[in-house]
Amino acid sequence: MSLVIWMPLFGAVFLMLVPKDFVAVHRYGALGISILTFIASLSLYGAFSSGTFHFQMVEAIPWISGLGIQYKVGVDGISLWLVMLTTFITIIAVWFSFYVGHRAKEFMVYLLVLETAMLGVFCALDLVLFYVFFEATLVPMYFLIAIWGGEDKKYASVKFFLYTFLGSIFMLIAIVALYFISAEKLGKGTFDLVALQSLAAQGDLAALPIQLWLFAAFAVAFAVKVPFWPVHTWLPDAHTEAPTAGSIILAAVMLKMGAYGFLRFCLPLFPDATIQAAPLLMGLAVVGIIYGAVMAAVQHDWKRLVAYSSVSHLGFVMLGLFSLTHNGFTGSVLQSVNHGISTGALFLMVGMIYERRHTRLFSDYGGLKRQMPMFAALFLIVMLSSVGLPSMNGFIGEFLCMLGAFQAGFEGRAGIPLWMPVVAGGGVVLAAVYLLWMFQKVFYGRNDNPENKRLRDIKPWEQLLCWSLVLFVFWIGLYPKTFTDEMEASLNGLRHQVLQQPGLRPQWADTSIDVNARGDVVQASNRDPNNPGNWTQGKVLVPADHQVRSEQVAARSERE
Amino acid sequence: MTTVWDYIWIVQLLPVAGFLAQALFGQRIIAMFGPAMGRRICGAMAVVPIALAFVIGVFVFYKLTELAPDQRVQISTWFNWIDLQTLRVPFELRVDPLSLTMVLIVTGVGALIHLYATGYMATDRDYPRFFTYLNLFIAFMLMLVLGNNLALVFIGWEGVGLCSYLLIGYWYHDIANAKAANKAFIVNRIGDWGFVLGIFLIYVTFASSQAIVGDEARLLSFDVILPLAEKVLPTFGPAVVAAVPILLFIGAMGKSAQFPLYLWLPDAMAGPTPVSALIHAATMVTAGVYLVTRCHVFFELSPIAMLVVACVGAFTAIFAATVAFGQTDIKKVLAYSTVSQLGYMFLACGVGAFYAGMFHVTTHAFFKALLFLGSGAVIVAMAHEQDMRRYGALRKYLPITHGTMLIGWIAIAGIPPLAGFFSKDDILGKTFASSHYWTEHGWLVDPKILYAIGLITAFMTAMYMTRMFWLTFLGKEERWRESAAGVSDEHAHHEAHVHHPHAHAEHEDTHGFFLSDDEVLERERAEHEAEHHDVLTPDHQPKEVVPSMWLPLVALAALSIVGGLVLSGGYPFSELLHWDTQHLFRDWNAIAAAPTLLPAAEMFHADHMTEWILIGSSVLAAILGIGVMAFQHRLGIPKSDREITGLKRIMGAQWGFDGAMYKTFVDFGGRFSQGFYRWFDKGVIDGLFVNGSAWTVQSFGKLFRKAQTGYVRSYALTMLLGVVVILSYVIWKTNR
Repeated sequence: MSLVIWMPLFGAVFLMLVPKDFVAVHRYGALGISILTFIASLSLYGAFSSGTFHFQMVEAIPWISGLGIQYKVGVDGISLWLVMLTTFITIIAVWFSFYVGHRAKEFMVYLLVLETAMLGVFCALDLVLFYVFFEATLVPMYFLIAIWGGEDKKYASVKFFLYTFLGSIFMLIAIVALYFISAEKLGKGTFDLVALQSLAAQGDLAALPIQLWLFAAFAVAFAVKVPFWPVHTWLPDAHTEAPTAGSIILAAVMLKMGAYGFLRFCLPLFPDATIQAAPLLMGLAVVGIIYGAVMAAVQHDWKRLVAYSSVSHLGFVMLGLFSLTHNGFTGSVLQSVNHGISTGALFLMVGMIYERRHTRLFSDYGGLKRQMPMFAALFLIVMLSSVGLPSMNGFIGEFLCMLGAFQAGFEGRAGIPLWMPVVAGGGVVLAAVYLLWMFQKVFYGRNDNPENKRLRDIKPWEQLLCWSLVLFVFWIGLYPKTFTDEMEASLNGLRHQVLQQPGLRPQWADTSIDVNARGDVVQASNRDPNNPGNWTQGKVLVPADHQVRSEQVAARSERE
Repeated sequence: MTTVWDYIWIVQLLPVAGFLAQALFGQRIIAMFGPAMGRRICGAMAVVPIALAFVIGVFVFYKLTELAPDQRVQISTWFNWIDLQTLRVPFELRVDPLSLTMVLIVTGVGALIHLYATGYMATDRDYPRFFTYLNLFIAFMLMLVLGNNLALVFIGWEGVGLCSYLLIGYWYHDIANAKAANKAFIVNRIGDWGFVLGIFLIYVTFASSQAIVGDEARLLSFDVILPLAEKVLPTFGPAVVAAVPILLFIGAMGKSAQFPLYLWLPDAMAGPTPVSALIHAATMVTAGVYLVTRCHVFFELSPIAMLVVACVGAFTAIFAATVAFGQTDIKKVLAYSTVSQLGYMFLACGVGAFYAGMFHVTTHAFFKALLFLGSGAVIVAMAHEQDMRRYGALRKYLPITHGTMLIGWIAIAGIPPLAGFFSKDDILGKTFASSHYWTEHGWLVDPKILYAIGLITAFMTAMYMTRMFWLTFLGKEERWRESAAGVSDEHAHHEAHVHHPHAHAEHEDTHGFFLSDDEVLERERAEHEAEHHDVLTPDHQPKEVVPSMWLPLVALAALSIVGGLVLSGGYPFSELLHWDTQHLFRDWNAIAAAPTLLPAAEMFHADHMTEWILIGSSVLAAILGIGVMAFQHRLGIPKSDREITGLKRIMGAQWGFDGAMYKTFVDFGGRFSQGFYRWFDKGVIDGLFVNGSAWTVQSFGKLFRKAQTGYVRSYALTMLLGVVVILSYVIWKTNR
């Protein structure tokens, strides 16, 4: 576990020792390290068991014991895929960064440091540790933008840094507050997520008003990251000005840190506040979907268009998340991964052409389909996966997110109105509008620009990068079972943690319970220490109840 | 265990294999064997899978007819596509009379059109790309009609939309084609929005009802939901009962080009003619009718939804017929005629005669494919000129095309005993006869009015088709000889485009990104040669098309002659296909165990006398229509056609509807969004709040200029200090 997290950092230290003139060493060294990390994360997947919602491969070492701060890491079905996505996308980003000639050594070092920080975010189970990693991602990304960015890099990088930093300040305050609360309840303060969740599961963590405040403080940090409308404006600037590798990682991984934060912290720790806030956040998600799409449709800059499309697509992730349904949760996590692949690929391919032509304006392009047929074909596939064409990855995610939202709206769950998912569906129409327009602008028509007439098609190794992403486009699109199977137990646990009454909420700390394949919370005995997913089912404690009746939820939120 | 029904997977996968082979090896084959031979091989690779699929389809169909009528639903499952605790969607294909009928149309007519396309596209340099898309289309279309659950239907549904998009924009050099392609995809997506919401609504109602027991989460599968629809939906109240079919119908409106979502179909004629024949006439656009028929149980539950379907259908039928009068492009006439005929099919579904709708789907596939392919032959013979005003008297140059088109013309006009007569008469008859049933069940509109609209449309159809046929084949004037060649200098224009590379010394090509100047020139030369277009000159001599093109014409003409007769009631084949009213309702419902809510016999009640009067009036409408137009054209092209003016002009411009939509959504919408972006996103959020607060901070900062260095590292230091302070406080507090 720790090996995966720290390997890139060790690699970075190693590269730092190599003089900067050995550019090839830096390039291939960084590539090798990122591939090794990916292989290591594959072994995580191999060791992972889908049969339990508890954290697996947990490692806990006291860090600052006086304050109860631990180095505690572990994965479950949600973070597993984000870890895999991170290690995979980093390979792509590093490999494509072979084009970086200016200060190549530092570039690679920053990328690897960034990878460790991102992996840490997805694995940390201690709030302080999480916060440290969360902030640590900002620094390398700041430098990536500020040093290797486009014309407006200063503005974009400072904006990016301050925006996200400002958001996470609130989270820090909430984390400290949680420490004091736990100190009061347990006698000894803790930052341990598992321990805090146990309090929340019994309804002891905080009463609703305080929960709302804490939820809001966390939510601000994550909302900026996602980004939610209207705190999204750092994103187009940062994405556009960042170097290609930076854009890929920003879109593919760093935006997911927001969605992940909601899933990992806000929902299990503040379940009552979550139900209260769900309609509001869902509303913002719907606004984001439509708003991002409309804004994307009027861009003249290729990268800016893709950046705004992220605002729209992440809206679907949040839509599914706050539907608080099994379909919605699954869709949300899957769509996080999907967006990483599709939008990562879009940024990658825009980067390829930018590397050649040094312009991102649509007016400089046109008719490239004849000039670069392979590039056009690959771009078409990626574009369509972003449009959400069935049989490709984007569809499964968006479909499940909207289905979950529709279900929530139809049942009136948590007071979510039905018009929200209906309006969100319009985002799918608009996605076709702006993405097809983009494709038309670049690839259709006549190739009249003499500069473009000299372009060769993309090189074999660049094609390989694209194909590796396209593989996942179809894999997730045609056989999502590989991915959803691992998630379901964790998402079921999470759903019960949010929707059940205090006392019935399953606790991560209590390994004598688990969720079964139907989604019921059951007693679990004879747990195999080597394979935590292997246990014997006992009594059903809470039935799956995928269709929570609106009355139940309404009655609950009234009581509170 | 494999059964004979699993063979249907071969039918499904053959076009997929064809697609993959064409996509991966097409270009290589052409490069290896040279253009002529390579194209022949690629063409064979495209046609053979579809033809083979047809043969296997026939075999499966034959096997199906051997079963007892109530056994005729077989499902073949492969693996689970989406597999959640709450939703299971397997890849499962449904073999029943309805799906196999569509399979036979798609593969049969599809194979003929593929064959035709090998001739039509013979000189196109992107030959493999064309057949890649075309095979992919067949694959998706089969998925659409064979899929046993709504999600698989949706894969096919969007997939055929994608292929339609790719093929409309096939000649993408002309940006207008690309825009037409976008329009098609986007308008379809609006329909899909409705379709998806319909799927969601079906899912949530069935999921939250307790009707489905066990762990079976196949909540979108037809064999699960159709039999239970009657039990489940009414428990959610009349709004849901009406909303499900209406949402599905919105999807159908997009795909089947019903008002107001028909807008994309006329523009779709920008694609190559075989595409128009296959996708935009015979198969894809009928997918909406198929969907409505497949889900007919949902529709029958809600009289309101039925009324909506019938009225939209009838209105579209007559609306599109009026527009067809104002067209000069031969393919546009056929396009509006298609929209109009699709309206008929929905009219049939709306009054409850679903089988009549499917009957018309079938016969329409025959004669409309024939008409489109025939028009393609004319277009090829006339050097890609599509304006009918520049045709005339082509019958002596194109005897086979003329003969087959003649059959298509009288078939669509509704002259017995050709195919169009039977199906159209069936629709009109059932519309009339359903009158008393529907008015009893609270329809606001008497179906007799719809019948009248249908009859007028039949009359108009006969008229505009006669106009088209006359302008193209009959008369004495050879009008292309009258016109001066105005386009011939286009060539010279392109000449000027050949780019002479200047020195590119400013960019050093370290990565090998760019072509050398020589290579650029070489490419441009090839480009230029390939773009050589024929121009219709006054001394043009039209020639009959090659056999690979006229053979399909003959086959389709034969089908257009006998198709209606064979498939209508009272003949041995129809018994096999079960398209008799009684059979259709009895069979499908018995099979799916979905009780029919409309008592079939009682519904279409008409005595013999009335029946004969109805038949007589539709024949009369057809003959009258032909007669009126023949009279108008007896002296050559009428004045109102030489210059399209007056009413014809308004009609031709779709009564201004397209223009208004364009102005509202594209022009205004675009400018509004543009302004909104500048004003709100850049101005208010970014300018006022983000940069505004930054500016405020900066102004304050001027007071503390020393502290504000502007470097992130100093901010980081501040942050560190802050953390230290907070942590010290924490330590102090805990150790107190």
